Amino acid sequence: MESLSDQNLVDRARNGDARAFECLVTRHYQSVYRVAYRWCGVREDAEDITQDVFVKVAKKIRTFEGRSAFRTWLYRVTMNTAMDFGRRRSTRRAFSEAWKAEMHSSSENPGEHALAVQELYAAIDALPPRQKAAALLVWAEGFTHREAAGVLECAEATVSAHIFQAREKLNPLFAEKS
Amino acid sequence: MEKDIQERLEKLAIPEPRDGARERTLRAAITEFEAGAKADETRSKGFLRWMRLLGKFLQGGHPMNRPAWITAGVSFMFVALVTAVLIPQFSAYRSGPQRITSPSGLVTESGHDAMDLSVDEEAKISPPASAPNEWVAGAGRGRIGAKAEALRKMPSPVLREKEQPAPPLPQEYVGRDRFETFDPNPIKRTKEEPVSTFSVDVDTASYAFVRRALNAGHLPPKNAVRVEELINYFDYDYPLPADRSRPFRPSVSVIPTPWNPQTLLLHIGIKGFDLVPDQRPRANLVFLIDVSGSMDMPDKLPLLKNAFRMLVDRLETKDTVALVVYAGSAGTVLEPTPVQEKGKILAALDRLKAGGSTAGGEGIRRAYALAESCFDAEGVNRVILATDGDFNVGIRDPEALQHFVEREREKGIYLSVLGFGQGNYNDALMQKLAQNGNGNAAYIDTLNEARKVLVEEASSTLFPIAKDVKIQVEFNPERVAEYRLIGYESRRLRREDFNNDQVDAGEIGAGHSVTALYELTPVGSPALRIDELRYGTPVQKTGKAVNTAGEYAFLRIRYKLPDARKSRLLERPVSTSDEHTSLSGAPQEARFAAAVAAFGQKIRGGTYLEGFSWDDILALAETARGADRFGYRTEFLNLVRLAKTARSMGEK
Repeated sequence: MESLSDQNLVDRARNGDARAFECLVTRHYQSVYRVAYRWCGVREDAEDITQDVFVKVAKKIRTFEGRSAFRTWLYRVTMNTAMDFGRRRSTRRAFSEAWKAEMHSSSENPGEHALAVQELYAAIDALPPRQKAAALLVWAEGFTHREAAGVLECAEATVSAHIFQAREKLNPLFAEKS
Repeated sequence: MEKDIQERLEKLAIPEPRDGARERTLRAAITEFEAGAKADETRSKGFLRWMRLLGKFLQGGHPMNRPAWITAGVSFMFVALVTAVLIPQFSAYRSGPQRITSPSGLVTESGHDAMDLSVDEEAKISPPASAPNEWVAGAGRGRIGAKAEALRKMPSPVLREKEQPAPPLPQEYVGRDRFETFDPNPIKRTKEEPVSTFSVDVDTASYAFVRRALNAGHLPPKNAVRVEELINYFDYDYPLPADRSRPFRPSVSVIPTPWNPQTLLLHIGIKGFDLVPDQRPRANLVFLIDVSGSMDMPDKLPLLKNAFRMLVDRLETKDTVALVVYAGSAGTVLEPTPVQEKGKILAALDRLKAGGSTAGGEGIRRAYALAESCFDAEGVNRVILATDGDFNVGIRDPEALQHFVEREREKGIYLSVLGFGQGNYNDALMQKLAQNGNGNAAYIDTLNEARKVLVEEASSTLFPIAKDVKIQVEFNPERVAEYRLIGYESRRLRREDFNNDQVDAGEIGAGHSVTALYELTPVGSPALRIDELRYGTPVQKTGKAVNTAGEYAFLRIRYKLPDARKSRLLERPVSTSDEHTSLSGAPQEARFAAAVAAFGQKIRGGTYLEGFSWDDILALAETARGADRFGYRTEFLNLVRLAKTARSMGEK
């Protein structure tokens, strides 16, 4: 079962094969969790988002028509869940790990990396949700603009515009250093 | 630059999900998947009935809050939630006789096999398309009934040892808790602003939060300290009115300020009547419980369960309890159930498990709907929200949530908020909600605190004897040059709000005491902090012929009886006869309140404390400890000692 392609597993799951479905969840848990964590920066929240994503997938997989790739669809559900989550808790934006790193850092000089990473995530976090989603998909997940457009269900040009605007906003972070 | 961004983003250290998170997700998803399969096969009548019920409840919602997928999938979700949340719990209970420990340390043996469900039974319960509460009832008819019997016989509150929350782990304070920023009340010049108005506050959340921080070895964030809540955490033995025609009467004293010999403290204490047990109104309670993943910590859900268990033990048989949970989604775990069927309630509580499934709930609406379904005009109707600050209760905009709570308050359904845990505690919102819902906000950090709030103070937590209680003090410029209200920053009212019955204010529960302190600078004192105006103040027209020479101030209290729309007024002057010239001659309760006030102000920075030290606070509190039946004041002394050595946030 593990060796089957996503498409294959999806087909089986749509016909009610619970093991195929289980396999899909196991296979993609980590990547969904990773995206969720990058989105919210809090482990517990990322776990919650991930769980929500797969429950939604379970609910909808029978009606998933396969017009897009499963991966695209999964990312779409993930992004929507994350955005929804962000709206619920827009103030909860701290990156706990980064925070901790900062708090521990006073003695041992954290290195620029941790701070720079934190700074960058904070800046991305402050973007409007659609821009944030586009930015994370393209920069963190390595999607092309076209792929990201598929996930976000918008035109490729829209993603490019989001990315352009996001870059403008992040520019100062890099300008200072160089 | 794009490359730079990518490289940097790559460097984020992503922690592994916690143990069991993946399994939980897998379980929830599979349950959902299989529920879908079942629904495909047979759309039973029971299922359709649930669809209708849920549809009805969803109609109440604003379409904005109701994404299409909720409407479509809510029934499936519901079944999945209940099964996913509850089933894993059963295995934990497969044990023989257990030691049962009450907080007093009493240990009894009990053959408690109530939850010992076999695998077969589990299978039977699994994914019913029919009403989830039916199987709760079914279980209740079986062995859980026996458990209820056992519980009734035991000294209450009863706790299972193994569910006792483990001692909190020494955690690094991460500082994601949210508190409203505020500055302490400024000093006011009596000539310019002779009248001070505020609403009473019976919340105690701040004290528990401060205690938690100090016990962990650090000072709490400044904004977590609300001095009035620290003061009001303690029960004060103020005299009660002579008869029950009035719910309370103010007791007033003027004492020397412990931290400043040049000023005086005006101490105002109010204590409400306690209920006569058989006159106590019926309580219609709905517990709205957060079961999201973040609640899965020893000091959250397990503590919460124990807390509610204790509360249920305190209720009368005629009271009703309902349970609504929310994680992402909301679900009724228990329809309103009379406390007579305590076993059923306790069993439902027992089965709660954090990490419930799916998103997008309507928790708070549902809780209120349930409260309304058994609304008792004669009784007390209250939703008790227990959470770690995760307010995805269905209405996302905090303002909309407040308005919602406010509207429900008008209907007579009140809201109390119990906060748990640390890390993402949203104090600001909790306070706002409780204030708008005519309720109280308490922070539960230990089982002892749960006992204080839900057992010892159950009647004041649950039963209001007066609402919209406002205090107004007018100072006499002949005697008082400057004044400063200590605490109550978040409770300030405008002067004109005092007589406006439309303006909401705090409620006082049965047996509650409320204390307020003003620091006064008498006319002619060298301690004046504000310079006289060079051009003086306009000469006042003196039309009054009342002799007010001996008066420091005039106190007015407005309150409404719980079901009244019009307020009543209590007034009395504060005169020299209320004055105690030496601190040692001052009433004990006033001295203790002053010590707590000094403590709170000192943690906040102590701008006005004139170098009053931790040891001074200790000495002052020490002499005012009184009978201290439950040891709360002794505990306070310990906190002061801890504060002496605590490091401030971020210090290593």
